[in-house]
Amino acid sequence: MKHPQLTDELQEQASLYAAGAMTESERREYARHLEQDDCTVCRREAREFQAATALLAIGLDPLSPSQAVKDRLMAAVATVSPAVPAPKPRRWVVWLAAMEAVAASVLLFVAFSNNAELRRTTESLRTQVQELQTRILEQQVQMASLTSTDVQIANLVGQNDTPGARARLFWDQQRRHWSVYVNNLPPAPANRSYQLWFVPKTGNPVSAGVFNTAANGSAVVEADVPAGLDLMAAAVTPEPFGGVPQPTGRFALLGALN
Amino acid sequence: MEDLELIRQMAEKKAAALDAFYERYKRTAFALVYRIVGNREDAEDVLVDVFWQAWQQAGRYDQSRGKPLAWLLTIARTRAIDSVRSQSSRRTEDLEKQPETPAPAPSTDPFVQADTREAVLDALRTLPEQQRVPLEMAYYQGMSHTEIAAALNQPLGTVKDRIRNGMMHLRKRLKPYL
Repeated sequence: MKHPQLTDELQEQASLYAAGAMTESERREYARHLEQDDCTVCRREAREFQAATALLAIGLDPLSPSQAVKDRLMAAVATVSPAVPAPKPRRWVVWLAAMEAVAASVLLFVAFSNNAELRRTTESLRTQVQELQTRILEQQVQMASLTSTDVQIANLVGQNDTPGARARLFWDQQRRHWSVYVNNLPPAPANRSYQLWFVPKTGNPVSAGVFNTAANGSAVVEADVPAGLDLMAAAVTPEPFGGVPQPTGRFALLGALN
Repeated sequence: MEDLELIRQMAEKKAAALDAFYERYKRTAFALVYRIVGNREDAEDVLVDVFWQAWQQAGRYDQSRGKPLAWLLTIARTRAIDSVRSQSSRRTEDLEKQPETPAPAPSTDPFVQADTREAVLDALRTLPEQQRVPLEMAYYQGMSHTEIAAALNQPLGTVKDRIRNGMMHLRKRLKPYL
């Protein structure tokens, strides 16, 4: 998906990506977005933040590695660099050298194949472990949040064109965080998104994020509640793709907060 | 020779270009890797991998994604974080030990413009601690926002805000050097 303009949320994503602060699954999805979605807005933002973080190392005191590092590096490179032409050897030397080269190539191929396969397996397992650890941690945080005595639960009910939609909102007041579990809300068409709103007692609604539901009508939306908002309701409206600063669509879901 | 020309020649597998590129940036890259890995032996292993990867991927270097030094340092950070993750138990032992004393090094790197370094130091000096801490936990320790929030016992939203604000501060201060 291409984003038409930079929003606070997109800027936050770019900053987390560049700082290396995303979870593994978020990082992968964001990297895919940058690579495949041709989203110039996010690419530019992420690139600038990445360039800034890369400069952080310049603030460290330079440190000299031992000569052995360069020796190892250049020895490895020497095996793949174009060789300097040697004097032409005699015919039997050429045959011997050729046979040795073939044997060496076979050995190298076998060694590298096994090694590469092992490395791929190790990398894959390592990634899976990291993802599982991250998921466990995320779920622990989520569970702690949902079972906290500071959590207020509110139900959002379908409105207008989506009367069958439902959502349950968990509001962790200590962490100022919403977890909203949406069900039975038909996916928005390609050029539209759903937008969750903080509805304060006074003043205009504030965007809590843009989302779409899966084919089965479900979605989970996480949102941090800005400080200083005295909330009276939560709402979801269908909006142009990527969201808008203020709601323009009719309510799809609405729920009061006590 | 310009960095870009060195990378072009590295893509052509000219070892002399890698030699020059290594000599130019080994100290800055090693400082970053050492800062992440925490011990000299592992940091040197990672440094070999970093320049080897740069050598292998020189043909895919994309100018639009950043300057050569930023490209190299991105590789360095990624390899260093990967190394730490793969040896997490070993790393814990290392962190519990007194940090090794790094070899004496010049206070400046002749290949890094003095004004760039001064700008970076100034940007870091003026970065509020509450932004610097989560940013460094992410950048140098590879911790996710969720892990940082748990470690600092702060709301996730606060941690994300602080990282974002810290990044915006750095970008603003370092804009002329990006």
